[in-house]
This record gives sequence, C-alpha cells and structure tokens, in this order.
Amino acid sequence: MWHRLRSWLRALVFRSRFEREMREEMERHLALRERDLVAEGHPREEARRRARLDFGPLEATQEECREARGLRWSDELVRNTRLAFRQLRRSPIFALTAIATLGLCIGANTAVFSVVDAVLLRPLPYPEPDRLAVVATVREPAGDSLPWISQDGASWELLRDHATRSHLAVYSGWGSEVSFSAPGWVEIVRQQRVGAGFFEVLGVEPRVGRGFDPEEDRPGGPAVTVLSHHLWQRAFSGEPRILGEKILLRGEPHTIVGILPADFVSDAEADLWTPLRASVDGEGSGTNYGILCRPHRGVSMAEAEAEIEALGRLRYARSEAENEPPNEPESELGWRLVPLQEATISGVRRSLLLMWASVAAVLLIGCVNLAGLLLARSATRGRELSTRLALGGGAGAILRQLLTETLVLALGGALAGLVVARVALSILQSWIRGTLGLWQSVHLDGRALAFTLALTLLTALLFGLFPALRTLRWTRLRPALSGHGGTADVSHRWPQRLLVVGEVALVAVLLVGAGLLVRTLTHLTHLPAGFGTDNLLTAHASLQDARYKERDPIVRLFDRSLERIRRLPGVELAAVGLNLPYQRGLNFPFRQPGGSSTGERPSITVLTYVTPGYIEALDIPLLRGRPLSGSDGPDAARVILVNQTFAETYFNATQANVTQADATWADENRSEDVDAADAIGRFLEVAGQDREIVGIVGDVQQKPSWGDYGPLATMPTVYVPVHQTSDEFLSLVHTWFAPHWIVRSSGSPLGLPEAIRQAIAETDSLLPVSPFAAPADLRARALAPQRLQARLSTLFAGVALLLAAVGIYGLVSHLVTERTPELSVRLALGASRPQTVREAAQPGLVLAVVGVVLGGALALPFTRALQHFLWGIRPNDPLTFAAVGLGLLAVAGVASLVPALRVLRLDPAAVLRQE
Amino acid sequence: MGDRRSTETTEQGSKERGSTDRPVELLQGTLDMLILKAASLGPEHGYGLLLRIEALSRSLLQVPQGSVYPALYRLEHQGLLTSEWGRSENRRKAKFYRLTAAGERRLHAETSHWERLSGAIGHVLAATPQEL
Repeated sequence: MWHRLRSWLRALVFRSRFEREMREEMERHLALRERDLVAEGHPREEARRRARLDFGPLEATQEECREARGLRWSDELVRNTRLAFRQLRRSPIFALTAIATLGLCIGANTAVFSVVDAVLLRPLPYPEPDRLAVVATVREPAGDSLPWISQDGASWELLRDHATRSHLAVYSGWGSEVSFSAPGWVEIVRQQRVGAGFFEVLGVEPRVGRGFDPEEDRPGGPAVTVLSHHLWQRAFSGEPRILGEKILLRGEPHTIVGILPADFVSDAEADLWTPLRASVDGEGSGTNYGILCRPHRGVSMAEAEAEIEALGRLRYARSEAENEPPNEPESELGWRLVPLQEATISGVRRSLLLMWASVAAVLLIGCVNLAGLLLARSATRGRELSTRLALGGGAGAILRQLLTETLVLALGGALAGLVVARVALSILQSWIRGTLGLWQSVHLDGRALAFTLALTLLTALLFGLFPALRTLRWTRLRPALSGHGGTADVSHRWPQRLLVVGEVALVAVLLVGAGLLVRTLTHLTHLPAGFGTDNLLTAHASLQDARYKERDPIVRLFDRSLERIRRLPGVELAAVGLNLPYQRGLNFPFRQPGGSSTGERPSITVLTYVTPGYIEALDIPLLRGRPLSGSDGPDAARVILVNQTFAETYFNATQANVTQADATWADENRSEDVDAADAIGRFLEVAGQDREIVGIVGDVQQKPSWGDYGPLATMPTVYVPVHQTSDEFLSLVHTWFAPHWIVRSSGSPLGLPEAIRQAIAETDSLLPVSPFAAPADLRARALAPQRLQARLSTLFAGVALLLAAVGIYGLVSHLVTERTPELSVRLALGASRPQTVREAAQPGLVLAVVGVVLGGALALPFTRALQHFLWGIRPNDPLTFAAVGLGLLAVAGVASLVPALRVLRLDPAAVLRQE
Repeated sequence: MGDRRSTETTEQGSKERGSTDRPVELLQGTLDMLILKAASLGPEHGYGLLLRIEALSRSLLQVPQGSVYPALYRLEHQGLLTSEWGRSENRRKAKFYRLTAAGERRLHAETSHWERLSGAIGHVLAATPQEL
C-alpha cells in the first residue's frame, strides 16, 4: 500500500518527467516495431503505418497508463478544483457571501469549542485525574441541590484518622489577596492555604523542594510557604538556591520550602501556598474546608467511596448539635466522592453548554442558508451541466464536480473561520474569565484545528450534498438544451422553501432565548437596591495582617481613618463594614436562646460587622427601633440590628412551623400582616454572646451564598457593631473577607478617591487599599454571568437573524427572476405595480409566518431547558414571544420587499417579446 | 491482476508466422502473469517482453501491443516490477523492467494457482461417460 502511495506521489510530483518518459517509451516501442517490420521486408512508410495501427490508439493507452499509476482521480480532482474556482470567480458576490457566512459560523464554533474543550472535555492537568475526587455531602434520597463540597474540621479529623483506602488532603477553597515582599520585589499576590500532602494527592511533584509536612501543618507550626514557578521567576529571577530564603507575607516572615513546576495550574489560580492548619474550632467550626481524595494504588474508586460513605454515616449519626450544611434536616445526609473535574466545572457546565448549543444553531442556520443559495444557483447552471451529461460525463463525475465546488467553498470558509476564531477566542476569553472564572489555559491548538476540519467537512456535506443531488436530478429530468424552461415551475423550489422555514424557526428559537435572558438581566438590574446608590464610593483593604490580629488595633484603624475622611470637603457620611450590598456576605450561625421552637440547632444568617453610621452612610431605611451609635461600645450592652427579612422569618409569632421558615425566605415567606415589631427587644446568640435586637432595617440586594435564589436576592442579615466583636471573631472573618470603607459625598468632587486613599494612608501607610467602586460596579460584578449570557445570546441571535434575512432575500430574489414572465403578464393584464410587488414578496412572508409559528412551538421546550438561567420571568413569557414574532416578521417583510421592488422596474412589453 | 481487454489474435499475424496452429485467445487476467514470467527471465524493455512472450508461446499467443504498457505500469505501481532507463541493442535509450522480490513471490503464487486450475479443468474436460 505504501508502495502505491509513493509511486503515485512520485508520478504526481515529477509529472512532466512521467509524461515525457511515457511518451519516449512508447515511441521507442513504435520505432522497434517499425524496424522489425522493415526487416521483414515491408517498405519503411508502410512499416511505420502498420506499427502505429497495431499499437492501437496512443492517447487511450496513455490514459490507461495514467490510471494505472493512480493519476486519474487526482487529475479529476485538480480539474474539478480549477472548475470550481472558475465558477466562483464568475459569481464573486455569491462566493464572498458564502465564505463570509461560513467563516463566521465555523470560526465562532471553533472558538466556543476551544473553551468547552479546555473546561469540560479535557481531563484535569494532573496524573490520573479520573482518580481524584472531593468528599461531598449529599442528601439521601438524592436531592436536587448540588452536592455540598465544603466540610468542617471535625469531618476532616474523622476522615484523616480513619480513612485507610485513600490518600486525603485538606485545603481551603478561599484564595485571598495578600501583600508579598521579597528582597527588591513587592507585589499583591493570591494565596491559597492547603494542608500537608495536598500536592502529593494531586500528583504534583514540586520542581524544587517539597510540600508541607504534618509538623508544619499544625497550629503553632513554623511559617513556611511554597511558591508558584512564575512568582519565583518574577521575584527571584529563578534563583536556584531558593530553599530556605525568607519572604514577608502580610508582614510576617515565611520560609520557602518548595517551588512548583511551571505547568501547574489549579482553579484557585494562586501564586503561593501556606499551611492550612485545620482545626475543629474557629474556621473549622464551619464548613470551610475542601477535602481532596485519591484512592491508594490498587484500590478502586468504588472501594474508596464505600469507605467514605461508611465514615459519613458515622459522622452524621453523631452530629446532634454540630454544624452541617445550612438549614437541612440532618437525618438524611451522607458522604460521597465527587470527581474533582465535576466539582470544578459544575457551576459553569450549563452556561458553557448553552453557549455551545447556541453557536451550533447559528452554524446550522448558516448551512441552511448556503444550501438554499446553492439550490438557487443550480437552476442557472442547468445548461452547462446538461451539456456535460450529454457528452458522456456520467452522473458520478458531475456529482464529484459539484461536491468539489462545495468543498472548495467550505475550505475557503474554514480558512476565514480560523481567522475569525482567533479573534473570537480572545474576546470570548476576556469575557468569560472575569465572569465564569475560566482558569484553564485556552488557545487554538491541534484539537481545535482538527475540530475545525471535521466541522468543515460536515458543513460541506450538510449544505452541499442535498443541493448537488437535487441539481443532478433536475439536470437529468430537464431537456435543458432548449431555452430556459418556460413558466417557472414554483413547485420545484420546495426544498429551498422548506429550508427557509427551518431557518426562520431556528432564528425564532434563538431570539426567544436571547430575549428571555436579556429580560432576566433587566429584571435583576432593576431590583430595588434597598439603599441609596448615588454619590457613593467604596474600597476595601485586607486586614489579614500581623498587626491586626486583635480588635483594638482594628477599631482604632477604622475610627481614625473615618475621622480623617469625614473632614474631607464634600464628604457627608463615612463608615466601615465587613460586606456591602451586591456582595456575597459572611454566613454565620446563630441561635435564639430560650424557648424557641427551633430548639438547639443553629440557623444560618448573613452577618456583617459595621461601624456606627453604616446604615446612615448607605442610606438604608430604618424601619423600627434605633440605629447603632457610638454609645454601643465595647463595654456597653451587646446589641444587634436585623433586617426585615430576618425579622419576618424568625419572629413571626403566629408561625408554628419555624423550621420550614428556615428554608424559605423573602418573597416566598413575606406576608403583609406580619408584625415584625415582635423582633425588637428579643435576643440572638451570635458569636458566643447574647445580643439584643434594637432595630429593624430595610433589605438590600445581596449575592446569596446558599440555596437557589438567583444571582441577587434579599437574605436575612444581621449587623453587629465592630466594637462589640472579639479578637478571635475578627481574625477569623478576616481570613475570608476584607472590610470595606464607604463614603457618601455631596455630588462627585474631583480627586475625592485620592483624598480618601490619602486619609487612610495617613492612618496606616502600609495598608494596600483596593481601587474604588461605586454601587453600580458592585452590581455589575454580581451580575456578570447574566450579562455575559445576555450578550452572547443576543450576539448569536443577531447573527442568525442576519443570516435568515439574507436567506429570505435570496429566495425571493430568485423567485422574482424566475417569475418575471408571469409577473409581466400580470402587469400587462392591468394589475397595479404595488399589487404586483406585494404578489412578488408574498412567498417570503408566507414562509416567514410558517417559520415563526413553527419556531414558537419549538421554543417552548427549549425555554423550559433555559429555566435555570431565568429570574423574574416565566419561560413562556407571552410578551417576549410576541415581540420576537413581530420583530422577525418585520425583518422578513423587509427582506422580502427589497427584492420584490425590482418589479417596479419591469418592462412587461420587453419581457413578453422575449418569450 | 486484471487486464480489461482480452487479447485477440490477428489473422495476419498467424499467416506471417507461418504456423499451422491458430493463435489462441488469452484469458482475461493472465497477461500480468505472463509479463511477470517474461520479466523473470531477465531485464527487458516493453517491446522485448512482448516478443519474448510470443516467442515462448511458440507464436501461439499474440499480445495486442497497446495492452502491454498499462499492464507494465500497473505491475510497477504495485511494486512487482521495477524499471530503469538503459541502453537497448542499438545503443538507444529504453526503459528496462525487472522482476522484484515481491514480483517473484507473486509469480510463484500465480503459477501454482494456474497449474492447479488448469489441472482441475483438464480433469473435468477429459471426463468420459464411464467415469460418472
């Protein structure tokens, strides 16, 4: 087989020599034969003639020799390709339209595929990634909520001490920004805290040094750190003798014990790692840890999971008064192993698949368009192809020619598509990275190219095969050598009509989806903020610092910086709070002491510590009672503010079944005649102390961190004066959150952000303060995924709409051309021009109507699948459907009318004379 | 190994050779085998191979001139023959064909197949009513 390939290639590459040698060989043959005949006594002339005659037809023999070398089919391919190019050159508009359409569709699909491939399809970049899992808590029987992959310290210790079949490691999913300084290098870096053995379990061998020992991973252990390769290069220029060097992290010296390899990536996107020091109290009292698991060699995943399940039963059997995932009845909980890949992508999988489906639909529409265009062209090629058939070309040869044309178009589209893909991918990456948290490296690599090629061939087949077969059929049926066929037989255009209907239906589906997503975004954006959003500036600074381990220095920092800020011109109010509206807040357990029917089990609420004046600075309405003031100091009685949602949920005196209330908030549970004033004067046990509720404030929009309430919702929230918190509490929460400074000004004076930054710097010059954000920015960040979805779906739907419009235009245009005689007859018989124009445009409109109706029906199941992404709007929202239908019909109307306007320029007399 | 056109005899050829037997028709597909055999006897150019076959068959076989070259090209493409340009008797350039190792194996296989086949057919054709 290889020999034949080589032989063919040789003949192909050295074609002229092949031809020359073949000719020479046969001439030699003839010369020898001639000589022999002369030797037998024939005269020279006759010998020559006889030799030629006996040999047979020279050209036919040469053709057979070429075929013997496999050159026939490659010659045909080259010939067909040349023909295809010539055809395309003759209709440049068609060629450009086709290549542009294909380029756009193939390019977009390749770009999306690259992202989907990197995130969903490619295995994680660790050894044997299918044997990596995280320990997750699930409900039995299986509930519909996602498995909870955060565990607490007690769970970790249980697993660590008793799991024999797997290698386990604990880590914190919270990365934080901290200040890093090495000799001659200062930077804010991203830090992740992991337990001993973390890198071993992942299967990552540090390039230099090692991971953390159990000795280092216990409370009070030495301060060590592992750096990423890139940080090592940046800060130390890759100095090989790096082990044992010290760096300052949050102002504390740490010794470097390891450097990771250059190709290491993880979803934490960390620059360096420090020991987690997991414990059962403090951070470990809540579910703040992740537990990574890899079964030992020789143990199957099922065996390892069985052991984990058994330990889970142990864990939850004894957890009477311990924490568990918020607000779930404890009796049905258990542990499972969730594959690590699934755990890291579960949040984004749906969004990515939605994106992929949309872009595939656009490609489908593009192919449909092209098929329609090709079908339209085929009518004009009837004469040429019939001639070829008549000359004995053979149906197969014609089919091959048509398919070659399709392939040439498709390859042209693929080349354009690669350019588009490049651009689209970089845009897509920048959009997605900020919102869906894309940490995998994405680029156009071999897999993407292979995908492009496969897609190209598939599209060529999709849009080319049917028209080619149909063209062949027409060519055979029609006696096309005589004229162009008389009155147009519109019935033979039914494939093209069907395609247009299909196109319109698909576009309708895409438009409905986009419309719903856009309305979701609008709804979320216009949710009442609950606070005054004008003239507000916010910034945050990490207090995960050696100097702020206790309450007093923290409170001093706040008080002094606020004092300075309030003296700045234009500043009306200023305060500090741990979290802001539109953000994900701190989840904290609390209890209602005394005879409440919730019993001993703690509930979870969002908790923020604040300086006095926070409520006023944000302009949150005070509904009852009093706000916090300066007199709520460290020695005064412990007080707390709650918001309306909290009060209504927990203090509705008439509610018997408060456990149920734990799981339903806000709109689901709000009832107008609840007397939330019941809350004032009651006590809550929070962070170890009983605090009296002295006021009820309005709700603000937040990012919910449990349940399925959407990207923005009002959650039960409590506000604690920072002066009344403890050292342990503050240092605990500062491992996860950075406090925010809030400044309300009158108007927006220039230079205020700088002045505020200066004021804080005067209080503490080493504190790294983040850039300033206004409430609109915070809201934008919270709604980033929704905005991305709305944007992308609108983009795809827009492109699809354009393609459909082009398709309708093309169809009507060809129909008008074909029906020119018929329309001229109508005009001659006295029909008015406008009437005739309407008549000409009608097919397009009729098809559009059918397509819209079909699309509406198709959209119903599709939007139901979209439900996960919709908030504040029903999947079958009639307004959206109606708007899409009308809009689509309007576009179709224009697309049909424009080519129909040609009727206005018809000269019926001239046309009829021609017939 | 297939030759689409079956070879035919020419009356004239037989008259000129002066043989008393009528030249026979070549069965389809056997031309390749004959060419391989002819080439196995020594490197030769196309015309020479043609003459060789005719001579070896005692002029009973006359191969149409035009069908040799497609067969030669096919056999070379399959790697059963190899060719190179050399000098023929009268010092002119000609393309000489030689059997390769693969060609030898093929020839051997085809020959034994042919012998078995013709033997079997011979048995059938020689049958007398008594053998039934």
